[in-house]
Amino acid sequence: MMGNKTSTPYALEVRNLHKRFGALDVLKGVSLAAKEGEVVSILGSSGSGKSTLLRCINLLEMPDDGEIIVDGDRIELAKKRDGRTCAKDQRQVDRIRSELGMVFQSFNLWSHKTILENLIEAPVHVQKRPRAECIEEAEGLLAKVGIADKRHYYPSHLSGGQQQRAAIARALAMRPKAMLFDEPTSALDPELVGEVLKTMRILAEEGRTMLVVTHEMGFARDVSSRVIFLHQGAIEEDGSPADVFGNTRSERVRQFIKGHNH
Amino acid sequence: MAETGILMIVGFGEGGWGSALLSAAAMTLAVAICGYLLGVVIGILAAWAKISGGRMLRIVADAYTTILRGIPDLLVIFLFYFGGSAMVTAIGRLFGAQGFIGFPSFLAGTIAIGICCGAQHTEVFRGAFKAVSQGEIEAAHACGMGLWLRFRRIIAPLTFRYAIPGLGNVWQVVLKESALVSVTGLTELLRQSQIGAGSTGLPFDFFLIAGTIYLIISTLSGVLLHMAAIRSSRGLRRA
Amino acid sequence: MDIQFLFDTFLELLGGVPLTLQLAISSVCAGFVLAMVLALFCASGIPFLDWFARLYFFVFRGTPLLVQLFLIYYGLSQFEAIRSSFLWPILREPYWCALIAFTMNTAAYAGSILYGGMLAVPYGQVEAARVCGMKRTIIFRRIVLPLALRQALPAYGNELISMVKATSLASIITLMEVTGTAARIVSESYRAIEVFVAAGVIYLMINFLLTRGIHMLEYQFSPRVPAQNNSRNIAVGGQL
Repeated sequence: MMGNKTSTPYALEVRNLHKRFGALDVLKGVSLAAKEGEVVSILGSSGSGKSTLLRCINLLEMPDDGEIIVDGDRIELAKKRDGRTCAKDQRQVDRIRSELGMVFQSFNLWSHKTILENLIEAPVHVQKRPRAECIEEAEGLLAKVGIADKRHYYPSHLSGGQQQRAAIARALAMRPKAMLFDEPTSALDPELVGEVLKTMRILAEEGRTMLVVTHEMGFARDVSSRVIFLHQGAIEEDGSPADVFGNTRSERVRQFIKGHNH
Repeated sequence: MAETGILMIVGFGEGGWGSALLSAAAMTLAVAICGYLLGVVIGILAAWAKISGGRMLRIVADAYTTILRGIPDLLVIFLFYFGGSAMVTAIGRLFGAQGFIGFPSFLAGTIAIGICCGAQHTEVFRGAFKAVSQGEIEAAHACGMGLWLRFRRIIAPLTFRYAIPGLGNVWQVVLKESALVSVTGLTELLRQSQIGAGSTGLPFDFFLIAGTIYLIISTLSGVLLHMAAIRSSRGLRRA
Repeated sequence: MDIQFLFDTFLELLGGVPLTLQLAISSVCAGFVLAMVLALFCASGIPFLDWFARLYFFVFRGTPLLVQLFLIYYGLSQFEAIRSSFLWPILREPYWCALIAFTMNTAAYAGSILYGGMLAVPYGQVEAARVCGMKRTIIFRRIVLPLALRQALPAYGNELISMVKATSLASIITLMEVTGTAARIVSESYRAIEVFVAAGVIYLMINFLLTRGIHMLEYQFSPRVPAQNNSRNIAVGGQL
């Protein structure tokens, strides 16, 4: 069922997203659009709603209002009897999710499976691809992120940086159209942050569409094609790194960058 | 056998078993409480032996808990009742008494329950002690408090706070274990139900009532323990 | 200390071990199936099923096993309807009554252990499965259930050992497992202390072997570093 596929220059689009937690308005009408190959960094102080924004895109959080369009495919939402939003077609949601790769702050590798098994789990059971093909591709991806020798190990045997690289490889194994990163380095020891950022840089240079919620100013400035600054649920600034880091009109953004520069 | 309804059974009148069942329930509580308290004393001693005893004491305490967690409680009850009876009979014979002298069933039940749950109490107290911050005990040392004073005013109260959930669990186990003491002939709740069942030919009714009474006692205990747990953890910041 | 007597008693008691093990293992296995069903009821989200399972846990964990045993063995014989039904040949036998009672009892404890294991699965790993587009049933089958079972393994091992001790109650309804055999020998020889100590030793031995077996099982299912025989080493590092 192709449903709402419209031709569009954008790989990922969000229109007028609203999200409430109880009485608190976390997202107040956020709109953004990412073209294919764009690397969008999302910055903001804690409580600004940046993680919520990311998690609404693949419906880990259910937005109260707004539209989400992935590669021209608009996610059909409906209102339940008690006023809460839900997905009209769960199959559409599952399909779209399998086309988006997500990397979590706390890696979330499946602890009862080896690294290799982690990588082939979704391709085999969700995308129904042949097992041998998935294994071969997975081994290539593990080599690419630099942990090929760990493929038969369990997540608990790997360092934080290795686990996150494995998580990135797991997201890549699904051949995603776009990738979502939710503060991928925030839970890592400082000396392990570098190896993960290096991996993400490689992906950016390959031309992947990436949405990255991060505190890493260096990455935002040097690797992204666009930077979005979120403040209290609304977009404060949206522009190229040069504009946001050098030329911003917003005092808040200036303060934030000054406070986070190391 | 006349058709006696449930109401007749729990009634307190002429043909009713209500009063008999209630006094049997009281007996259940009595043997359970006595056994439980005995177990607490044993548990404190054995936990102390494991924590700060010498090598010999620790081995004995370890053997105690290992053995008692590995054998059925029924066996311990049999051991004390039949074994105790054999001993008492032998002693009686020394004094010229004839025939079989039964070891008092309440005593056998209490001792057996005490020894069985003592092993569980040991682990509860040991775990609770480990949870107490060593700094607070060190401060007591630093004030120059002697052993008994330290134990009475610092170690015991602090350990007790952490022990309450475990103590509550052991109580629930002991309550159910008391039903096993019925094999000694003691007229606690289960034995009384058996007597009633045999007398009226209504085993299902009697055992259902017995089960319900156990459930009521167990639930009430749970509520009381929960309240005690809340009261005793004032000032304790949960992680 | 009559060594000969102890030795003979020991051998005689060993004759009761097969029945002890049979009762314990059968009831734990059957109880596992029932426990799984009950845990699924709790996890189903359907209020009636959840309510039923929780009531089951409450009743069977709140009453003594002996009362449950008596209810089934003695209690059911009260009803004419049961006595004349096709079930009577089964329900009349102490072995089957004991098995049913033990199974229903362990299912209550094991069910709450299994449900607790399901709740303890780190939610992050469930989320990671959701974002891949996995359907709810697949997530449950491939992520939640395996992790819950691994989590529950130590507690389940304890349950098996508890069950071995619980089988001693079968002696009260005339079954000749270890405790029953011991009671019979005592009634014939009047040497209670020696016989019951010998029985205790046998239970300790069973317990010891079971504990070893369970530890081996836990080791099998824990995340282990693989043996170092990966001869095909894809070049690593320097790739980026």
